[in-house]
Amino acid sequence: MKRIILSGYIFLFISFVISAQGFKVKAGGNQTFYFEDKGGRNQATFFSTTPLEDINGTANGIGGSVTFDVANFAKSLKGTITIQVASMNSGIELRNRHLQSPNWLDAAKYPEISFQIKSVTELKQIADNRLGFKILGDFTLHGVTKEVTADADVTYLDESEQTQKRAPGDLLGVRAKFSINLSEYGVDNAVIGNKVSEKIEVGVNLVGSNKK
Amino acid sequence: MNRNQKKILTAVVIIIAISFIVWIIFGGEIFTKTQVLVEKKDELFPDMITKEWRNKFIWGLDLTGMVSFLSVIIGGFFYFRLRDKKHK
Repeated sequence: MKRIILSGYIFLFISFVISAQGFKVKAGGNQTFYFEDKGGRNQATFFSTTPLEDINGTANGIGGSVTFDVANFAKSLKGTITIQVASMNSGIELRNRHLQSPNWLDAAKYPEISFQIKSVTELKQIADNRLGFKILGDFTLHGVTKEVTADADVTYLDESEQTQKRAPGDLLGVRAKFSINLSEYGVDNAVIGNKVSEKIEVGVNLVGSNKK
Repeated sequence: MNRNQKKILTAVVIIIAISFIVWIIFGGEIFTKTQVLVEKKDELFPDMITKEWRNKFIWGLDLTGMVSFLSVIIGGFFYFRLRDKKHK
């Protein structure tokens, strides 16, 4: 008898975990969210170290969109996020020019950095309107594409008086972070050599709307 | 060393000392900056913290080095010009 009850609990638990794969919000069906933000609040951040100081930077030229089925987020998520290299700012004008020069990211030849979503794993329901997960995608930098996995969480807000102050439609807040190795992307800086750390930490904070 | 040379030497030492004090007061940064990153919480998404550049001048060690270098060069020039010539 105990075994039957225990099996029942395990079945219920597994069913709950499997069913928790999407948002529990008013909206339903397929939704597409666009991340172009004229206010420049959407941003990607990057962090690196040098022997002399840490480098913190931002990029506000964000674009792209994601599409997913509200009830089946993990299996349906598709889309691409783009970042304009020219919008990168490290706080020092001379360093910005250097960052965008052919020695580094070569903004003229490779004006865009992109992340194309491939799959979602380890999905966790943090709240009815919030999901945490790992996201696998193709990250393209300096014309080189490599697979990266990012830790991400997304929050879905149904349209309300509060959200309308930001943008029309439902809003999707996205946070993600991952790290890359510069040499894997052919960024070989001959001018300052190994002074900048090989590893760059990348973060994104985006809010998208399902109305353009 | 005559009186004028002593004055120049004192002035150079004071300028260098002040530039180092100013550097320390500004937080001891290596590079001079005109912008700093400020963290900002999003009203709609409280867990989302965005960073914003604010215009703020930060005196760096590079500027202190430049001021010190120029002080030594200019001070050295006047130190040499104002040397005692009575032995000639």
